[in-house]
Amino acid sequence: MRASLCGIEQRDCHMVAHAQTMNAELPAFVRRLSPAFAALPLGPALTLSLRALARRRPAVFERLGEFRRERYFIDPVDLGFAFTVVPDGERAQVSVARKGEAATCAIVIRGPLLALLALLDGSRDGDALFFNRIIAIGGRTEAVVALRNAIEDAELTPADFVGLDGPLARLADAGVLGGLDMARRLAAAAPARAGREP
Amino acid sequence: MPPFALTLGPVFFHWPAERLADFYRRIADEAPVDRVHVGEVVCGKRMPFSDPCWPDVIERLERAGKEVVLSTLAAPATVRERRSIDELCGDGRLVEINDMTALPARSGRPFVTGPFLNVYNEVAAAFLAGHGARTICPPVELSLTAIGGMAHARPQVEFEPFAFGRLPLAISGRCYHARLHGLHKDSCQFTCEKDADGLAVDTLDGQAFLAINGVQTLSNQVHAFCPEPSALAAQAVRRLRLSPHTCDMVEVAGIYRALLDGRLEPQEARHGLSRLDLPGTMVDGYAHARPGWHSVAAAG
Amino acid sequence: MMWPQRMELVCPAGTPATLRAAVQAGADAVYCGFRDDTNARNFPGLNFSVPELAEGVRFAHGLGAKVLVAINTFARVGEVDRWRRAADAAVECGADAIIACDVAVLDHVARNHSGRVRLHLSVQAAAGTPEAIGFYARTFGVRRVVIPRVLSVQEIAALNRAIDVETEAFVFGGLCVMIEGRCYLSSYATGRSPNLNGVCSPPEEVSYDEDADGMAARLSGFTIDRYRPGEPAGYPTLCKGRFAAGGKASYLFEEPVSLNAGSLIAGFKAAGVTALKIEGRQRGKGYVAEVVRAFRSAVDAVEAGGDAVEIDRLLAAQSEGGRQTAGAYRKTWR
Repeated sequence: MRASLCGIEQRDCHMVAHAQTMNAELPAFVRRLSPAFAALPLGPALTLSLRALARRRPAVFERLGEFRRERYFIDPVDLGFAFTVVPDGERAQVSVARKGEAATCAIVIRGPLLALLALLDGSRDGDALFFNRIIAIGGRTEAVVALRNAIEDAELTPADFVGLDGPLARLADAGVLGGLDMARRLAAAAPARAGREP
Repeated sequence: MPPFALTLGPVFFHWPAERLADFYRRIADEAPVDRVHVGEVVCGKRMPFSDPCWPDVIERLERAGKEVVLSTLAAPATVRERRSIDELCGDGRLVEINDMTALPARSGRPFVTGPFLNVYNEVAAAFLAGHGARTICPPVELSLTAIGGMAHARPQVEFEPFAFGRLPLAISGRCYHARLHGLHKDSCQFTCEKDADGLAVDTLDGQAFLAINGVQTLSNQVHAFCPEPSALAAQAVRRLRLSPHTCDMVEVAGIYRALLDGRLEPQEARHGLSRLDLPGTMVDGYAHARPGWHSVAAAG
Repeated sequence: MMWPQRMELVCPAGTPATLRAAVQAGADAVYCGFRDDTNARNFPGLNFSVPELAEGVRFAHGLGAKVLVAINTFARVGEVDRWRRAADAAVECGADAIIACDVAVLDHVARNHSGRVRLHLSVQAAAGTPEAIGFYARTFGVRRVVIPRVLSVQEIAALNRAIDVETEAFVFGGLCVMIEGRCYLSSYATGRSPNLNGVCSPPEEVSYDEDADGMAARLSGFTIDRYRPGEPAGYPTLCKGRFAAGGKASYLFEEPVSLNAGSLIAGFKAAGVTALKIEGRQRGKGYVAEVVRAFRSAVDAVEAGGDAVEIDRLLAAQSEGGRQTAGAYRKTWR
């Protein structure tokens, strides 16, 4: 989230108006519906996806440089667990982690799940999210910068992560992106409907 | 071993003409420096005030056996400022160039380059030497080792590390003294005159950090590099520059002279300096390839 | 490739993806650097490998855009060859110009590659007078100078009357308040600086520390700014911080604002400026594409004789919610 910030100032981004939307928590029913949270071993599944991505897009990981071997603690504040990620290309490792394990990692990135997912699908500018205090970072700032720049250049889609390709990828894009958009709209409306969700 | 030389750099601050005259009179009579820079480096608007004192000052210094160098502006902008550089570059004495504007005017005749000119490698040094540079005072952020690398590669030029004084860190088109007082550079009312060593700039948490002097930003802390003479010789450096402040510069020069002559140990020299009325605490990070605000050698 | 008579829009490309975005958004030229300290935006994960640059040049040329390679730091003692090799690589990749400031680089390109690549003088050379610019032009064959951001439009007009080379002026993005290429604030605090390492206020030295009063953004332990809980934060670029001097706390050097001289485009044209430069190699491709599109429309409008109202409307979206300044281009900045 850093590199672009030399010279960026907090009100440079167009995200201020959206900050309220992004801050809303993920409604419980969306969590249950989202395929990403089926009761399967998340860690191994994501590890395989990340390694598959590395095989298809080695340049993304090469761009990370030395920071590919760092442990990143990715903490969605609206989930009961977090992830540790070592984005070391074909040796990448993703594990589900307890919230307290942040100390074992050199970098911590924390924020609402929607925001973290938006970083990956490129629909939200990491700098804007950081400056508007929607996501928080800790630890080696330069590693976050490297990650942000690698993701920026990669132009990833959710399909890249799920490890699908061809027609399945297009379905997945429409499905997950549509799901994300729906989730965002729901999240925006959630405060008005508070108390009426199952 | 030939002796090490000491240079007194130009006064960065807006001292009134009388103060300058008194200052240089004492320097001429008492300071063990070989070379003295005179002239305005920071702001062309000050020149009408100091210009009248220079002829007497120069004469006094030369009569006392000091070599005088005419310093020129670091960021000339107006037609008048550019013309003043042209005039100064026509002088028979050594001239200090602080901006590339002066190079064509002085090329072919001997000059000094000041710490506002970018000389980071031996190729740049050779280039300037080819145009007439005799002494190069490199940007303050370069370590002694880096300076030595250039000095060894280009022995025909003399390198002169900035050794004492608040570090000149940046220069701008905007005047910070004016800005602080809600004014603009064009109508500044010369508020910088009030701060004879620059005005301290602290962080919001009260950490001493920087200082402003009109369009110039300096360190708050005072760079006080006190090397063993052998360490300088090992880097082929034979001259140091001291930058004037309101503290007793004769005393400062005396301490450095004793240090370079081997009559004082570095620690004793630092101790002597620390007892003077310095505008900030003593640091020396840059000389040791560290952040400028670090103090590598413990203060005496 | 022909260098056009109408004003050229020069846009930042921090990564290959941003290069493509900028070119597709209408950039006449993009500028970029290699992945090391030979360029002044030497940030982790940013910039181009040699193969990426070659591919970027092919892409840009295919759409009629030029590529300018920034080798705009000062070569280190004993390592000058690295900078020379970077220049050679840029030429091999087909770059249209090299943007440089160090005598060692200018000299190498002038001696070995003149005729194959143009030399542009980086803003890091801090050449703002006819004497300085003329010197670089005569000595190294520099064809264009990126002018320091401390000059007003009137001064730029006077400069263009007095020199024979093209001028390129910053028109949007981050604003350096100190004269570029001669600022050591960053190394004073962190040990690393634009001239020494190609970085300013490097991320390795940044920390955001929460305490009872909110959050402090620090650089090597020096507090650069403070934010109340929930207040939008900024990056602790040294010269954009809040400091205490003369008994008051303020953005002493500069407010954390961006440069937007979009309303001055016609003024720049009248002043003889050849190219308009958008700052921001560290910005995201979405942002760059938006800014480039807006300036493309604005420049096209000026070239067609459009008026200021039209341009302001086109750029209004970029100013929305953002704090902008026209910087030193208006003399009141000083």
